[in-house]
Parts: sequence; structure tokens; C-alpha cells
Amino acid sequence: MAGMKILGISAHYHDSAAALLVDGMPVAAVQEERLSRHKNDAAFPVAAIEYCLDRAGLEAEELDAVVFYEKPMLKFERILTMALREWPRTFSSFPQAMKNTLGEKLWVKGLIKSWLGIPARKILFAEHHRSHAAAAFLTAPTKEAAILTADGVGEWATLSVGRGKRTPEETTVDLLREIRFPHSLGMLYSTFTAFLGFQVNEGEYKVMGLAAFGTPRYADDVRKVITRTEDGAFQLVMRFFEYQTTAKRSYSKHFVELFGAPRAPWEPLDPTSDEGRRFADIASSVQHVLEEILVDMCTRLHDESKLPDLCLGGGVALNGVCNARILRECGFERVFVPPSPGDAGCALGAALLADRVHFGNPDRDFPDHAYWGPDIDPVELGRIAGEDGLSHVEVATDAELFDRLARELHAGKIVGWMDGRTEFGPRALGSRSILSAPHTAEQRDRLNKSIKFREEFRPFAPAVPTEHASTYFDLPPGGHRLARFMSGVFPVREEHRANLGAVTHVDGTARLQTVDKEGSPRFHALLEAYGRVSGVPVILNTSFNLAGEPIVNRAVEGYSTFRRCGIDLLVAGRTIVTKERAGERAAENESKEAAE
Amino acid sequence: MGEVDTQPAPLTPFHLRPAGMDIVLKPLHRWVWSDAHRCAHKLLRFAETEADGGRDIARAAELTGDGLLRRLYLRHAMDELRHAEMFRTRGRSMLAALPRQSASAEANWLAPGERGLDDLHVDGEKDDTLLAFLHLSERAAAMRFAVYREVLTKDKETREVFESILRDEAFHMNYTRKQLERVSPRRHGLRLWTARLHRMWKVYLRFAAAFASVMGAVILTVQYFVILPVFAWAAKRAGRREPRGWADTAGKAHTLGTQY
Repeated sequence: MAGMKILGISAHYHDSAAALLVDGMPVAAVQEERLSRHKNDAAFPVAAIEYCLDRAGLEAEELDAVVFYEKPMLKFERILTMALREWPRTFSSFPQAMKNTLGEKLWVKGLIKSWLGIPARKILFAEHHRSHAAAAFLTAPTKEAAILTADGVGEWATLSVGRGKRTPEETTVDLLREIRFPHSLGMLYSTFTAFLGFQVNEGEYKVMGLAAFGTPRYADDVRKVITRTEDGAFQLVMRFFEYQTTAKRSYSKHFVELFGAPRAPWEPLDPTSDEGRRFADIASSVQHVLEEILVDMCTRLHDESKLPDLCLGGGVALNGVCNARILRECGFERVFVPPSPGDAGCALGAALLADRVHFGNPDRDFPDHAYWGPDIDPVELGRIAGEDGLSHVEVATDAELFDRLARELHAGKIVGWMDGRTEFGPRALGSRSILSAPHTAEQRDRLNKSIKFREEFRPFAPAVPTEHASTYFDLPPGGHRLARFMSGVFPVREEHRANLGAVTHVDGTARLQTVDKEGSPRFHALLEAYGRVSGVPVILNTSFNLAGEPIVNRAVEGYSTFRRCGIDLLVAGRTIVTKERAGERAAENESKEAAE
Repeated sequence: MGEVDTQPAPLTPFHLRPAGMDIVLKPLHRWVWSDAHRCAHKLLRFAETEADGGRDIARAAELTGDGLLRRLYLRHAMDELRHAEMFRTRGRSMLAALPRQSASAEANWLAPGERGLDDLHVDGEKDDTLLAFLHLSERAAAMRFAVYREVLTKDKETREVFESILRDEAFHMNYTRKQLERVSPRRHGLRLWTARLHRMWKVYLRFAAAFASVMGAVILTVQYFVILPVFAWAAKRAGRREPRGWADTAGKAHTLGTQY
């Protein structure tokens, strides 16, 4: 059917989102958190749906189909079955699980009907891991690829492998086999995340960052909690875990006996102290074993499929260190990870699956970028800054803008950069970014302490024009592609490490983003301008948000963030705001008027 | 925040006086704060609450169309962030000095922290409604913090944290009140009363929801032990028969039309 309008939705667990396809092409995709301003918002994505429909100028009744990213009844079956299998140890979690599921999560069809006012026949349900697979394969520039998806859990599956094929006649996304709950690489990693005192579904990046400070001396112990099966899969040894019986704690007392006392979330983490080194070694060990298992699985998948391309999906695909090893060691020429491989991306995956596979609409090449969210309004920024008496200018040309920003960055200034439509996914890819010179560790420390308010051991990412990437980073074949959406961690070339101190992690690596002219012309131009000023076309690029907040969306949110931290300049379009007063306009006595 | 006077308003005896109920409950508060572990964990929880509150107020700054309010909210949000850091630093330093043990009972219902029992919903609120809510909330927090300060006679450092924060709370109380009078010159009294009633309704809803949740848990637990054992036996049996490793899904029908 030509001209179909299909809305994809993911919701209810973490990171809800909506995505809209019109005639097989994406119009909009956005996570609810960007609009509701609640980090990891799992609520039904009303604001995201409204945005998508507004962007396309559609009313809900004009939609041909609405696709939910998973099958709620299958999920409920898994929750109930696990409660029964672990009876009576699940007695404390059972009431909460039932209240939680029976409240809203089970009645998704009714929820969609009531929110959108569409008939039930238009509502479809994709399987969770097929949504991941579709998000990975149908957005990648490949006609045929092996697929591996891995996350905490979907309905039953926690890891799936299969293959996808696009021809003018037919598109297929076939998952051939899966590993089922409670055996899960995502849950394994999350359990260690909790053990190391970080927030699950949020702190996994920290485990990956911390791992670089350690050595995998606990790898054999990790292999005691996850064993391999004869057929090349894996199995968790459940006596070390408790997530299958309670929501309160994911690891058991046996786990603590094996790895020692867990870290309390409030404890400062210093990887140079004895205790900090123990935690770093544990992080390194779980990272090592995760890589070992996935590299082996992907190698087998390559041998079996004989295909040059691999598409990775699911939250585990956010592990850039592991992705880079897969690219280097498994035999695939190219590894594709979408900008949003987690559950939010499933909204897009489910919509694509419905369009290409369920309805059999013709294959289309998916635009190779991540910018599907709301646009920025520079006029709004200028107005607010003006009201607050801050100095703001609108430069005449892009060239002038980039030249000025390059000079400011080179002088050590930190820039809040808002440009075009927001990225879909967890990473700032040059639309809503905090930018800084990448040269010194002091700059990194300043960013950590006065802007991001986060742990010192966490690394920052560099952005570099694709054509210069190999000069500064040691990229294997296919590395440029994997780095397109910051999905791979690669070594910084030895000779450039001293001059890229703010973005070189303790192990000499960086999670770089390669930027090309076609995908991000303005960001690319800024990088080039910085290269002309500094001699190195590399800029530190971190997400534009403060700890605990989602990445900014509108200009006013960027402005609010700018005022609350140590960012020196704020940019939207060609408007530049600084914290300097504009003339005598500063209302020195406003507070006195207000408070007295 | 150069354009906003960052000097807190002078404290008045009124701001520092604990509420009547808190005076009656002073022995209980003293008990709550007497245990160093409990005290430290409570401060860490306060840090989280203050940080959350700061984010909410920053959101209010983003949403208001009133320039002066935006600047005041931003200053307020930064205060909350600073308070969070003060609580966190103090809590961490206390814990670092204590032998490691799991947290003792925190009695959080007694010491909920700023806006602990109030849900702040910024989106969709008008300026005057939000200011009235914030004023009451800040006032309640100031009174509560005042009693904490009074019972912390033996812990000078924690007492100083509360003292310092109380000065900011006084400023927050003052500016929210003054701004409410500015944006709603004729109806500010009504707004305050509406906010008071709204808070009471919220407290009722919270307790009602908690009661319903307990009732639901009791009924489900009874069902769990009375109805489920037979099904549990069957599920365990089926589970034991499941093969290890990969489950084959090739050839499985994948229809998007069902929820199963």
C-alpha cells in the first residue's frame, strides 16, 4: 500500500519513544524524556506521539497502523511463569509485579485506542527482539546482513540471532534462535552495575568506563556465574542472582561471597585506591567476559551466515568496547549499530517492521543519520537572553560563526551547541552537545567538576571529520562506519595522545564520533574550522545535559542548563549568548525587589 | 546569576521556629537524629530530594513566560543543587568516619526533607499556582529544618549545614510570597488557601493509595499461597524440561496482529 502512515511506540519499561513513517520514510522519532524532561521517562509517550503527528501534519485517525514494540501478553506470561517457577521465593515480589503489570502495562491496546482514538484493528504488536532487529537492520545501509540483538529481556528472549534481507520484491527479518530469560547478558551486566553501586539502566556506561582502570583478574569468577553451553550459548548460574525472584536486589549472597562487599552508591570511587582498584578489576572482568562471549557468538554467526555485514541491536549494543572487538575479531567487514539500539529505537524498528515486512511495502533506503527530533529555535534563545540582559549576537554567516567558535574553543571556552533537529537515541551527535577543546586532562576535569557534575573516571568522546579520523585514531577496516554514531571505542594513536588528553581514556582509547559532510554539514564545518585554528580537527563532544537530566531539546532548556553550570557560550543557529552583561541593563536590584 | 541579588534575606524568628506539631514531636526527632548511621543516610536522601527539587524548579524556569520569575527560579534551582551537594558531602564524611554497616531504619516518614511529601508537578501549572505551592513547601521545609537544627545539639557540623540551608530557605519563602503577590495581586490569599487544600488532598491521596496498595498486596499474597502452588508445581516441572542454551525460533509464525 503506497503512502502508508505508521506510528511506532515503545513504552512502559525505560526510555519510551514514538516514531512515524510516512510512505516508508521516517518523518519524526523522539524519546519521551526529551519532551517531558524526565530522564528515562517510561510513561506512555503522549508528548512524543503528538510531536510526530504535528511534524507530519497528521491527525491520529489518519494513521494506517500503530505498532507497539513488544507483545504485552507474552511478557506477562513470562513474569507470571517466573513467579511460579521460583515459588515460594517470589512471595514478596509477586504482589508488586502483578500490580505493576495489571495496572497499565497489560492493556496496551486499550491505552492506544483511548489516547489516539483509533480502531483496534489498526493496532499491531511486534516482538521485542524483532523490533530491535528491524531497528538495526532496516536503518543500516546494507541489503543483507547477519543480526544479533541482546538486552536485559524482552518478552522471553534476551539475545537473538538471525538475518535480514532486502530485495525489491521482499524484505525479511528472520530471527533463527534465541536465549531466554533468566539467562541474559544484559541482566549480567546490570547486576554488576548494581553491585558496583551504579544505577541500573543508567550506570552501565560507568562500568564500561571504570573497566579501563582495572585488570580482569576476576574473569574466572565471572565465568563461574555465567557458563557456556555445548551449543555455543550461555547460561547464568542462578544461585548467584536474585533478579528472578525480587525487584529489590539483583545479586545474591553467593555473589557477594564470590566478589566481596558491594560498593555503596554514595561511596566515592577512586580507582587508584585499593578498594577502588578492586571495583575496577571487577568491572574489567565482567567487561572481559561479556566481550569474550559476544565475540565467540558473532564469530560463529559469521561462519554460519557467510555474510560480510553484521547488525547489532538491543541495549548491549551500546557497549562500544565490545562492538569494536566484534568488528576486529569476528570476520565481519562492517558492523552496524543504529544511533538508538535500546528500547527507544524499537519504536522505529516496530514501525519499519510493519511497513516493510507486515504490509510488504517496497524497500527504501533509510536516511543515514540520527536527526529526527524537534528543531531548535534561535529566535527563542535570543529573546530569553535579551530579557535577562545577557550579551547575545547573531552573526551574519555560518563561516563567521564557525571561525569565532573555533577561536573560543581553542582559547579554552566551553560551548553549548544546539543545531537543527535533536538526535534520536542516547548520544549527542552534534545537535545538542557541549563542546570543548580536547587537548588537556585539565579541561576534562573542569568539564566533570563544573559542568557535568559527574565521576572523574568517566571519559569524554571526541568528534572528528571522517576523512581525518585515521590520522588521530587507530581504526580497523569498518571502524569509520562503527564510529558514525559513537558505537565503537578505538585506540588514540600514540603520537596524538598527549595532545588529545581530554578525550583519551586511561587505556589510550576513545569512543569517537566520525562526522561527515553529508550527514552533519554544520558540525563538520565547525570541526574543520577548529582544525584550521588549532591544527587538530578534533573537538570534545559530550551530551548537553546536567547529571540526572535528559539531553536538552528546546532553546530555553539549553539556556537553563547554560545558566546553571560553567558553560561559557551558548549557540543556537547563528545566535551566540555569553554570560557577560549587555551594557547597564542588568537588573541588579531585581532580587531585592522580589524578596523585600 | 549576576542580576539576582544572591544575598539571602535576613532571617526572622518566625522563619526559624519549628511547627507546633514538630515541637511536640521533638523527642522523636531527637531519637531519629541520634544515630550517626541513620543521620548520614538521611542526609544522603535529602541530597537526592534537593537535587530532584532543583530539577523541578529549573523546569519551572524553562516554562514560565515571566522573565523575573525565570531568573529567580534559576537562582533557586542552583541553591537546591548547592544544598544537595552540602547534604551529600556531610553524609559522606559522616559515613566515612563510621564503621561500615547497612543503613539502620531511617524513619523517613518523620524526616521527609524538602517537598518530601509534596509532589511538584511543574508542567501545566500557572505561575501563581506554582508560586503558592512553592511558598508553602519552602515554609514547611524551613520549619522542619529548624527543628532538625534544634535537635542536633551534639553534631555541630550537621547543625551548621541546616543553619546555612535555612538562610536560603528564608529567601525562597520570601521571594515566592512576594512574587505571588506581584503576579496575583488580588488573589494571592486565595491561591495560598487553594494550595493548602491541595496539599492536604495530596496527603490524603498518598495515604489512601498506600492503604490500597497494602490491601492489594495482602489479597495477592493470600492468592499466591492459596491458589498458585499447583500452578507453581506445573511451572517448575515444565521449567526443568526446558533445554539448555539456544531455543530454536526458525519457522515460528511472526504475526503482528496479536499480543501473544
